[in-house]
Amino acid sequence: MIIEGEHTFKGPREVVYDMFNDPNALATAVPGMQKLVKVDDTHYEGAINLRIGPINASFAGVLSLSDENPPESCTLNIDGKGMAGFAKGVGKVHFTDLGDNSTLLKYAGDVNIGGTLASVGQRMIDSVAKSMIKSGLEKLEKTLEERWQQK
Amino acid sequence: MTGKYFGQPIKRLEDKHLLSGRAKFIDDIEIPGMLHAAFLRSDYAHAIIKKIDVSEARKHPGVVAVYTAEDFGDYWKPGPLQVPPPTAIKGSQFNARTLVPIAKGKVRFSGEPVAIVIAESRYIAEDALEDIIFDAEPLPAVIDLEKAWEDTSVKVHDDLPSNLAALVKQEAGNYEEAKKQADVVVSRKLYADRVAGAAMENRGFVVNWDERNQEMVVWATTQAPLPLRIAIAGKMNLIENQVRVITPFIGGGFGPKIMTSQADDVLLPWISMKLNKPIKWLEDRRENFLATTSERDQVHYCEIALKKDGTILGFKDVFYHNTGAYDPYGMTVPLNTQTHTVSNYRIPNFYTEIRMVFTNEMVVTPVRGAGRPEGVFVMERMMDAAAKELKMDPAEIRMKNLLKPEEFPLKTGIIGQDFVEGVLDSGDYKGNLVKLLEMVEYEKFRKEIQPQARKEGKHLGIGVVAFTEGTAVGPYEGARVTIGNNGKVSVATGISTQGQGHFTVFAQIVAEQLNVKVEDVKVITGDTNHFHWGAGTFASRGATIAGTAIHNASVLVRQKIFATASKFLGVPEDQVELCEGSVCVKGKPEISISLGELAGKANPMRGAVEADVKPGLEATAYFAPPHGATGSGACAIIVDVDPETLKIKIDRLVLVHDCGTVINPLLLEGQIQGAISMGIGNAFYEKIVYDENGQLLTASFMDYLMPQATDMPNKMEIGHLHTSSPLNPLGMKGVGEAGAIPTPPAFVQAVEDALIEYNLDIADSNLNPSMIFEYMHRSKK
Amino acid sequence: MTKLFPVSINVNGQVYERQVEARLLLSDFLRHELGLMGTHVGCEHGICGACTVLFDGEAVRSCLIFSVQASGHEIRTVESLGTPENLHPLQEAFSEKHALQCGFCTPGFLMTLVPFLEQNPHPTDDEVREAIDGNICRCTGYEKIIEAAQEASKKMSSR
Ligand code: FES
Ligand code: FES
Repeated sequence: MIIEGEHTFKGPREVVYDMFNDPNALATAVPGMQKLVKVDDTHYEGAINLRIGPINASFAGVLSLSDENPPESCTLNIDGKGMAGFAKGVGKVHFTDLGDNSTLLKYAGDVNIGGTLASVGQRMIDSVAKSMIKSGLEKLEKTLEERWQQK
Repeated sequence: MTGKYFGQPIKRLEDKHLLSGRAKFIDDIEIPGMLHAAFLRSDYAHAIIKKIDVSEARKHPGVVAVYTAEDFGDYWKPGPLQVPPPTAIKGSQFNARTLVPIAKGKVRFSGEPVAIVIAESRYIAEDALEDIIFDAEPLPAVIDLEKAWEDTSVKVHDDLPSNLAALVKQEAGNYEEAKKQADVVVSRKLYADRVAGAAMENRGFVVNWDERNQEMVVWATTQAPLPLRIAIAGKMNLIENQVRVITPFIGGGFGPKIMTSQADDVLLPWISMKLNKPIKWLEDRRENFLATTSERDQVHYCEIALKKDGTILGFKDVFYHNTGAYDPYGMTVPLNTQTHTVSNYRIPNFYTEIRMVFTNEMVVTPVRGAGRPEGVFVMERMMDAAAKELKMDPAEIRMKNLLKPEEFPLKTGIIGQDFVEGVLDSGDYKGNLVKLLEMVEYEKFRKEIQPQARKEGKHLGIGVVAFTEGTAVGPYEGARVTIGNNGKVSVATGISTQGQGHFTVFAQIVAEQLNVKVEDVKVITGDTNHFHWGAGTFASRGATIAGTAIHNASVLVRQKIFATASKFLGVPEDQVELCEGSVCVKGKPEISISLGELAGKANPMRGAVEADVKPGLEATAYFAPPHGATGSGACAIIVDVDPETLKIKIDRLVLVHDCGTVINPLLLEGQIQGAISMGIGNAFYEKIVYDENGQLLTASFMDYLMPQATDMPNKMEIGHLHTSSPLNPLGMKGVGEAGAIPTPPAFVQAVEDALIEYNLDIADSNLNPSMIFEYMHRSKK
Repeated sequence: MTKLFPVSINVNGQVYERQVEARLLLSDFLRHELGLMGTHVGCEHGICGACTVLFDGEAVRSCLIFSVQASGHEIRTVESLGTPENLHPLQEAFSEKHALQCGFCTPGFLMTLVPFLEQNPHPTDDEVREAIDGNICRCTGYEKIIEAAQEASKKMSSR
């Protein structure tokens, strides 16, 4: 499954980048995320509960960061598994400073899914992923607003 | 041939129990103390197994045992080759890699079992699956057939030099020479997509090792109880009669239920013996899609060489056939494709090549049609392409090339799944088409209906195809017919039944010979304790091969009745006749003896019997045909396509069919109609889809669309022709797969015709609205 | 231990009281708790219709309902229609018209058609087709099921 898109955050690039490196911010942003714990600087362990069509299941996995080039870009890797299948993916995120304190996020990734998730959830998974991203970005937007104002 | 019972549209004897919910199916079997099994199946299509940790699952309350491949020790072995490849085809290559019961070291398709939980209930067993930690390292999956064939491909089996499962080249005549003489040569690349048997009942298996009697009783949804018994006895090191296989009522077969030596029937007997407990396993629908075999999936490169007037000079077909991760079923399916590609038409020169490849997908074994639909699809599509090229009418080009009755028996020069050179035994292929064109009013459609509809802006199209169905293959079946002391008759045979109506048609065959009421004949199928020789139900051979064995046994019993009765009635044999349920003296019906009484007399408990006389009114007989009998037919479909929504309505569907002698016309119609609905499903709704990583994307009825009542034409119009087969005394040919074979090519042709202004050139056997849209889009450009 | 809930369900005129797990499906309750094996399970995800039973007179899929939801309600299964010796007219019509082959889907079709024919005693073919559209039959191609429904409608109105 290919995931691509972009989003403009109202906030300076450094703050946005930091937010993407903060497990707490991410954990609250992703719908259904049960926990996200930092293991080391680049690795997080998490658990998530997903509802995709007839499937309602929890997944555990690792989120890792690589190719870090703050505050411009980094690569996110996810590797999650659960009773209902697995998801393995790589995503590149890229931040462009648009001036006027706003930042353009561009993301492009490819996620492989397998197991029940693929075999009975496949019809729904695209739209579920899209709506998760959408609501995730909205949450992040709020977090950003709070942080940016605190500063 | 019709008689008092034979050939009559008799209601089925089995219906009452089925209708009132009293018939016993596999999941209805309950044994005190029975445990339940559930499999953990791999999510990966291709992966190295790193670790399977079952320790938590073992602690789960209610769990009795958990096993992985390692726990089975030496018992773990790849299964037998269920169908060996024919040795008669010179130069053919075949690499046997039979199914392993449970993955060890490596996983080769998504859905392959990796662990099994035995628990007090199915709910608990499934819960405990979640406690198992399965760790594997995924490998790239082999999915594309043509890429898989390349030497550079990732390999499904590391110990083989490539993914080549089989390579078979057969030639009759000389295609390349023929091509030189041709006025036109047309070539195409065609696809036959994958579909499921999708019987409404999933597979199931119940086993009980009886320690005291040293006997293993197995209930299974198998189409082949005797091969299953042999397989289980062999694995368990028992003699065959220590294993009793019983098939309860089965909710549809359609091919996939013939597979043996899978996880259930290999592992559960071992576990039952080990735990000394009865165990039940029932597949759920997702498992059925993932881990029950399915079929089709071929890519064909075809060429047809013709003269200007449409006469075929030669045909060439090189095709890739997906066998899945293993090939336990040998080459049955692609061999059927080879034999059916050129079975309708006079094709003097034919070159055909099978390239069977291993992929990281579920194993391929027959589904209703078993390679035949692919062969017929390819041939019929090429006839369409040739007709277009030569600007001929599709019906006309077919009429020109169809075989004539006087050409039979015709040797095809191509060796088939029954290991012998194909022989078309009988038929009137042209007659089928003539009748079809009459029934569908072809002329009128072309000249009036279609032009009129076009004027009104409607897109009506017609497809007309011819087909054959190789049926009634060997090796043999047998039966025992016995008259009981109560005058009723019992018949036992080794095949099993999945809804075809064997309980009735076999009773009709017996009733006809013995002049007893049909309802007084009790048919027993699928219980190895009642009859223990035979191969099973497949390739439309139940009614034909087992039916003939039953006929033969009935004839012997009839002879014995006459011989015995003549003694007791004191008249010569030619003076006795069968009155209903009794034997009487000709012309003096008052002097008679009932069959029941006669059966008692034939089995004296004291005194002496003559040395060569066998007890009872009973006989066992077998039937083994020299080769299969070929049914034939033609099919027309008229569709109404909405080019905006691509909703397709089947206005008419006409099928003319010739299966030789008919035992029961009511049931025959049922067989044809059911297969047509499967053909329609295959043509426009159903499709098994794997993604490039080997993930099955269609594992529920939400994604795998089955044809429903509103998808069917208002009426399936069926016409019959009867040319007797010389291969069996009753002149029968099989019919089980007929309806499924011609439907996809007729449908595709009709869609092309309806959208004629788009000049489509459809290559796929399974369409759906978005594919047709794609085709329209592409051809516009 | 898993928590059990008391249920009291009227099935085919008889009230059954049981303690069940919350997740026990009605189909499993009927089949394995009560031994009423006539209700078949073909998909367990609500598409095939094999498990259709009447819930307070209405056709529902017993694989989509938990048995606790059926507590206090009336369920009718295929066993309530007719016996082998004394079939319901719809069952008779199924046999006469050869509307069943393997018979696995049949109880679901019967339980769909019974309330349908009660509400619509003289349906058109298309109405029958619509009525059974949620039931899958792999064996028959549906035509004979439609014929059987029509035959039954004749039988039932002439009674
Ligand atoms: S089993 Fe309930 S709808 Fe299929
Ligand atoms: S009769 Fe077999 S599924 Fe309907």
